[in-house]
Amino acid sequence: MAVSVAPAHGIGHGDDDHGHDDIIYRETRDMRLMGFVLFLGADVVLFSSYIFAYIYLRNSIPAWPPPGADGHQLPRLDTAFAAFNSIVLFGSGVTMHWALEHWKHANRSRFNVFMFLTILLGVGFLGGQAYEYAHAAIGGWSGNTFGASFFTLTGMHGLHVAVGVGFLIALWIQTTRGVYTKERFFGLTAGTLYWHFVDVIWVGLFFLFYLW
Amino acid sequence: MENLGNIEKIVAFIGALVVFTFAVIGLRGEWHKNGLDDNVTKMLLGLMAFGCILVVLACFGILPHTAPGGAA
Repeated sequence: MAVSVAPAHGIGHGDDDHGHDDIIYRETRDMRLMGFVLFLGADVVLFSSYIFAYIYLRNSIPAWPPPGADGHQLPRLDTAFAAFNSIVLFGSGVTMHWALEHWKHANRSRFNVFMFLTILLGVGFLGGQAYEYAHAAIGGWSGNTFGASFFTLTGMHGLHVAVGVGFLIALWIQTTRGVYTKERFFGLTAGTLYWHFVDVIWVGLFFLFYLW
Repeated sequence: MENLGNIEKIVAFIGALVVFTFAVIGLRGEWHKNGLDDNVTKMLLGLMAFGCILVVLACFGILPHTAPGGAA
């Protein structure tokens, strides 16, 4: 994937600057995309290691959730609320997808609407997770293996969502400053992939902690 | 409290249908594209649609097998 150099007479002279930038953009886009996908792959490995540790713990203990510090069986987590909060996050994934589609079709107003909805739903999901942390009667982070696993994995995911919200806000600001065009929008593609990624990680966590 | 749980399930169920529909429409739109980002998007949208199915199963109480609030 060698990057070719634009003709020397075209560099640094008026309109030709854009031509040179376009060449650089086209020829480095695939490399940047591959780098970003590898980053997501590394994150998958990170989450997988925690998830397999959780599966091992769950299968090592006969009664799950295990008894709390006082010896009583812990209740299951609130599945109804988790289902609601999951749909908030999955909904944000769909709105982000449509935001990118509207950007590709140069529909700026709809892009703004869908971007706003994505950020709003992302913040809503974080609020829901904070509510659940406050009300989950599973003995806290250090009370038992279930609490430790739950707070570690969902906390790590929540951190990714919080970073994602910041990422999306930064991208939105960049769009208002003309950083991206209809043809050149790698940052928005990366933001969308990242946001889909945190949605999909939640599919796994939702199943593990609430449905299994 | 039980009413609140039912309202959450109804909203989650309706939301799951809406999100599933739009995820499938998005998936269809991506289907003929073959770039790396398009293929990753296809996979992630498909998994998100699968997540919606899990939410529907949770809303109907099919998953988890034990009643919420009870021991596993």
